Amino acid sequence: MTEIPSLQVLLQLTVNGILGGAMYGVAAVGLSLIFGTMRLIFLAQGAMIILAAYFVRALFQGLGIDPFLSLPIVITVGAGVGWLIYQGLFRRAAAMEDRNVSLLIAVGLMFLVQNLMTVIWGGNTAGVVTSYTASGIGAFGIRMSFTRSIGFLIAIAGTALVMLFLKKTLVGKAVRAASEDMTSAALLGISPHRVNAIAFSIGLALAGAAGVAVATTFPFNPFAGFVFSLKALVALAIGGIGNVAGALAGGIILGLIEAYVQYFISGGWTNAFGYGVFLLVLMLKPEGLFSRPYKKA
Amino acid sequence: MANRLLEVSNLSVAYGDVRALWGVSIHVDQGTIVAIVGANGAGKSTLLRAISGIVRAQEGEIKLSDNSLVGRPPEDIARLGIAHVPEGRGLFRHMTVLENLELGAFQPKARPRLREGIDKAYALFPRLKERAHQKAGSLSGGEQQMLAIARAVMSDPALLILDEPSLGLSPLVVRQMFTLIQTLHSQGVTILLVEQNIHQALKVADYGFVLKTGEVAMQGTGRDLLANPEIQKAYMGVLE
Ligand SMILES: Nc1ncnc2c1ncn2[C@@H]1O[C@H](COP(=O)(O)OP(=O)(O)OP(=O)(O)O)[C@@H](O)[C@H]1O
Ligand SMILES: [Mg+2]
Repeated sequence: MTEIPSLQVLLQLTVNGILGGAMYGVAAVGLSLIFGTMRLIFLAQGAMIILAAYFVRALFQGLGIDPFLSLPIVITVGAGVGWLIYQGLFRRAAAMEDRNVSLLIAVGLMFLVQNLMTVIWGGNTAGVVTSYTASGIGAFGIRMSFTRSIGFLIAIAGTALVMLFLKKTLVGKAVRAASEDMTSAALLGISPHRVNAIAFSIGLALAGAAGVAVATTFPFNPFAGFVFSLKALVALAIGGIGNVAGALAGGIILGLIEAYVQYFISGGWTNAFGYGVFLLVLMLKPEGLFSRPYKKA
Repeated sequence: MANRLLEVSNLSVAYGDVRALWGVSIHVDQGTIVAIVGANGAGKSTLLRAISGIVRAQEGEIKLSDNSLVGRPPEDIARLGIAHVPEGRGLFRHMTVLENLELGAFQPKARPRLREGIDKAYALFPRLKERAHQKAGSLSGGEQQMLAIARAVMSDPALLILDEPSLGLSPLVVRQMFTLIQTLHSQGVTILLVEQNIHQALKVADYGFVLKTGEVAMQGTGRDLLANPEIQKAYMGVLE
C-alpha cells in the first residue's frame, strides 16, 4: 500500500470492481422495481439471491445441470415465486396506507428464508465448482475470471431486458405509470395488484439471475443475503430510486469503491466505505446521482 | 324519456370522522352534459371520487346503466366505462405525451383501437402530435389539460368525468376548453363536469346540480339555473 501502483494494477482493480459491482447492480434493479410500484424496500432480496444460489447448486449437484445453463430455469422459477410471494404475503398489506406492515413482512420473510436455508443446507459456506471455475481470460496483462465475466454479462443483459420491457411494452409502461401515480393509473383501468405482482415477478427473476452469478463466483452461506440486500440498497441510493439503469450504475460504482478501498486501504474497511458513501449520497443528493431531483409538493 | 346512464342515490361519504357528502342524489342521461357546481369544499370532487371508486361510499347506491359501482375498485369501474380526469389532471409527468395517450387505451377492450384512438386524438389536438415525444410535465397547463382529456377519451368511455378542467387556465384557453367539451358532446360523449366556472359550465350543460356543504341545494336545466336569481346572487357575484 505504500508503493505507487502500476497502471496495470489500477486497470485490474477497475475490472474487478466493475465485474463485482454488477452483481449489486442487478440486485438493486430488482429493489428499484419493487420500490417503484409498492414504495417498499424489499429487504429479503439478498436472501432470495442466496436461495437462488443454493437452488443452482442443487440443480448442479443433483441433476448435473451446468450453472449457467440453469439460468432459464432459475429465472422462470424466480418469476413464479415472485408472483406467489406478492399474492400470498403482500397483497393485503399493499392496499394499506402504512408501508411499515409490508416492510415487516419483508423482514420476516428474510429471516424465514435464512433459517430454512440453514436447516436444509447447513450454515457452512457453500460453492459451485465446475471445470471452468478457475479459468480466466487475459488481455494486456489483465486477468478476468471467466465466471465473473459471464456474471457481468448476465447483469447487463438482465438490466437491458427490464429496460426494454419498461420502455417498449404497454404493460411495462403501465408499471412505470403506476410507479409515478398509482391512483391515476387505476383510473385508467390499470390494476395495482397486477402491477405489483409484475414488479415482484421481475424482481425475483432478477434475484434468480443474480443467484446464478453468485453461485458461480462467490462462496456463499445462508446469512450472506442480508449484506447483499444492504449493498443493493447502497447501489439504489447511489443510482437513484426508480431509475433502472442508475441502479445498475450504482452497483458498479459501489463495486469500484470496494475494489479500490480493499487494495489501497484494507479489506476490513470496504464495508465501512460503502456505507459511508451511502449516507453521504443520501445527505447530499437524496434523489441519487443519476435521477432527476425530487419536486417539492 | 332519455336513457339513464348514471344514477347516484342517497350517497354519503366521509373522510374519517369528517363527513363530506350527505345523501346526495344525482343522475346523468345518455348523451348529455351534466354540470356539478358549488363553492370550494362543497364536496364536488368527493362525489366524483366516489363514482370512480377512489373513495368509498358509506351509504347509498351508484349505478352505471345496470351495474352497481359501490364497493368496486377504481380499475374495475374504469373498465366498466367511466373515464375520470381528476383534479390536477393525473398525468404521468415523467412519461411522454404519446405514452400517456397509449395508457389511455390500456384496458383490454380499448387496446385494439389504440392506433386509431391516437390518430383521433392528434386530429382533435394537433398540438399533442407536435409534442408526442416530449415529457407530459413539460407541457403548458392548457396542453396538459388537453392531454388529460385526450387520454381519457382513448378508452371510448360511456361517461367522461372532468373535475375542474378550466382550473388555472387563462381565459382564452378556458374558452377553448369549453369548445372542446362541446365538440366531444357533439361526437356523442356523455360528460359529467365539475366546475367553479359556473357561468360557462351551466351554459354548456343540459342539466346541473348545485352542491352546498355536501348536499344538493338546487337542480335544474342549465338555462333555468343560470336564470335563477339565487344562483346569480350566491355564486356568480363571488366567482365571476
Ligand atoms: N382526503 C381528504 N381527507 C379529509 N378530508 C377531505 C379530503 N378530501 C376532501 N376533504 C374534505 O371534504 C370536503 C369536500 O371536499 P372536496 O374536495 O370534495 O370539495 P370540492 O367541492 O371539490 O372543493 P374544490 O372546489 O376546492 O375542489 C372538504 O371539507 C374537504 O376539506
Ligand atoms: Mg374539487
